Amino acid sequence: MNSEILKKLLKIVALTLLISYGLDKLLFFSLNKISDKVMTGQAIGKLNHFLSLKDNTAFLVFGNSRANRHIDVNIFSDNGYNMGVDGVGIAYNSTLINTLEEDKKQLVLVHIDTKNFFDADYDGSDIRGLKTKYQRDDKITQALDNSDRLSLFQKFYYCMNYNGNAIGIIKNYFKPSYDYTTYNGYDPLSVSSSQKTMRDLVLSKANINKDCTDKCEVNPLALDYLKSIKSFTETSPNKTFLFVTSPMYNDDCNSDNVKFSALMKDLGLTYWDYTNLYKNKKDNSYWKDPTHMSKKGAEAFSLYLLKKYKASKN
Amino acid sequence: MLFNSLEYLIFLPIVFIIYWLLKNSYKKQNILLLISSYVFYGWWDYRFLSLIIFSSFLDYYVGQKIEEATGEKNKKRWLLVSLCSNLGLLGVFKYYNFFADSFASSMSTFGWEVNDLTLNIILPVGISFYTFQTLSYSIDIYRNQIKASRDIVGFFTFVSLFPQLVAGPIERASNLIPQIENKRNLNVTLIKTGVFQIFIGLFRKVAIADNLGIYVDSVYGNYDIHNSSTLLIATVFYAFQIYFDFSGYSDIAIGSAKLFGFNFNRNFNFPYFSKTLTEFWRRWHMSLSFWLRDYLYISLGGNRKGIVITYRNLLLTMLIGGLWHGSSWNFVIWGGIHGLFLSLEKYTFSALKIKTFNAFGYIYTFIVVLISWIFFRAPDLQSASTIITEIFSFNYGSLFIGNINSFINALLLLSIGFLIDLKIFRSDIPLEDYGVRYSTVRLSVIVSVIILMLCLFYSTAENFIYFQF
Repeated sequence: MNSEILKKLLKIVALTLLISYGLDKLLFFSLNKISDKVMTGQAIGKLNHFLSLKDNTAFLVFGNSRANRHIDVNIFSDNGYNMGVDGVGIAYNSTLINTLEEDKKQLVLVHIDTKNFFDADYDGSDIRGLKTKYQRDDKITQALDNSDRLSLFQKFYYCMNYNGNAIGIIKNYFKPSYDYTTYNGYDPLSVSSSQKTMRDLVLSKANINKDCTDKCEVNPLALDYLKSIKSFTETSPNKTFLFVTSPMYNDDCNSDNVKFSALMKDLGLTYWDYTNLYKNKKDNSYWKDPTHMSKKGAEAFSLYLLKKYKASKN
Repeated sequence: MLFNSLEYLIFLPIVFIIYWLLKNSYKKQNILLLISSYVFYGWWDYRFLSLIIFSSFLDYYVGQKIEEATGEKNKKRWLLVSLCSNLGLLGVFKYYNFFADSFASSMSTFGWEVNDLTLNIILPVGISFYTFQTLSYSIDIYRNQIKASRDIVGFFTFVSLFPQLVAGPIERASNLIPQIENKRNLNVTLIKTGVFQIFIGLFRKVAIADNLGIYVDSVYGNYDIHNSSTLLIATVFYAFQIYFDFSGYSDIAIGSAKLFGFNFNRNFNFPYFSKTLTEFWRRWHMSLSFWLRDYLYISLGGNRKGIVITYRNLLLTMLIGGLWHGSSWNFVIWGGIHGLFLSLEKYTFSALKIKTFNAFGYIYTFIVVLISWIFFRAPDLQSASTIITEIFSFNYGSLFIGNINSFINALLLLSIGFLIDLKIFRSDIPLEDYGVRYSTVRLSVIVSVIILMLCLFYSTAENFIYFQF
């Protein structure tokens, strides 16, 4: 390789780094401008909406799609918000809970998916769902840095914050998915008549007992995030925390639920496990699939939960 | 080590710099390449390095013996040693469980129960690729088409050269060994075309294929609950996923090799722009299809022994080609469909005295390829037949979208990939040479834009699809 070729090669590398860095910042700040105005959609809208109202809300729900589809916040409060998001775990939820104003009086319901706590492969990567706020929100940035779940390149290429979300953000900027001013975050699942046959078929084959073992251990990372919520509860005396597992259609594996209940007792956290609440009911109209209830099921469960909550207060 | 990993991003420049610091001695460069290639492979599982070393040593030795042997019989005897050893290794590691399982199943249909004969065998990555490469070396020497290598480091480097070690292109000794055994030079053309191809390959794999894969996996993972339209869309997506995944891999391999002064053979040439299946196979995984043609189809007699034997040879070649991909009946059927339609095409061309189809040929070819991909992607024969039955039941209700963001991303990236392919295809300049058109500044801008696209759309997949073969 002679010096001319070396020069050419270095020129390509230097120019690429320079141009890509410049373009990255241009695109990143443009996307920031757009995304700040987006209040709808799962890409960023729901998170923006939550961050804008989190400290002015009486009742908050955190969790994954099951929380999102199972807890009708309106039944609990006129001023509630369901921050359940598809596919997220305890890392995501713990980080968001830690952004709440400590002194504010609130009822906070944290939906627990017991299976996730006993998943040996859980690595907290769901926290990446908050990457759109990396270097834009101090607490989230700190949590992301601590998690070590972000790519090294993220420090150089900020656009990676919008990985997988850019199109959704742009779409929701030009055409919002719904009217966010009337949206409370709860997304019930309806079952159309054409979906009923398939739903019944899927339910008949449902067995959530596949990997059941008595030897299951709590994932240490998940436990750390749970402990982080526990610490937050101690510094937030005005808040009431409720940890709940909502029903499943047919969960024959009870050992993890028992272990988790014992863990929560040790931590001194209020935990209600309703995994098998409707197990013997066998009413398919309550279900969309084996892990998600239909609107009918979700509303019945929310009413039941409210009754239990009120009873516990008395 | 994966091409789309941080490890490779560090590994490639380090090897590149040391390699060109050793520019005065191509032999030292070969030693470096050999060590680097073993590190590259050992990163995945160092235990299987012994297989590559064994295979390399065997063919190095046998190659010389074939050349030195006097008389056809002796030459053939040494060739058989190479064939039996290489295919034996492949047979044990790749096909033993398949044949043991098939034997037990067929016995049980006659009422004879056979104990489980399968073994817990790990398939070494790249074994199908480097076995075919070493086989072609021995066969070429036997056919007096090349001379046996006397440079052991050079030969071992030929077998294990890291850009093509785990998933091809299956390089011919006649192309690669002379390059290894001579001084390589780097020029501006190689840099430009290499860099361009590496980044196009990354975009194809990391952005397009992996995003398509999210949708395909979600549908094929629960194929029994989806209707015709969803299964059809997922199959079309899979057709492009496997194309962009494998051609992307090949692009990174060919581009990386250029940075070390090597010219690999082309592996893909826009296969979906084919009017016939015959043309498809001249454009798809070219290093394998030409290998099968030269070492199997022609060895069986090709088209020299009458029309019936020609059809038999075509069918047999494609069946074996299917089996090469994996030890499953799905792959055999996939190869069988291609063999059958290739034979039908040959018959049609000779009966109608035409050389190709009109524009409808594009649609015909794509449909045949699409149907065959179902067997390639489905986990087993039963599910493949369920999917085909559902697609042809014309139950075209509403399409399952799943996560709308993922679906739109996949569709957008597929469109971009298709337009890029169309532009390069219409330019009549091979992708391998395309980068030379650009000035340094324009090339840097293009690479920068690709980097940003990767930042916005990268999706993490476990592996390249062809690693399993």
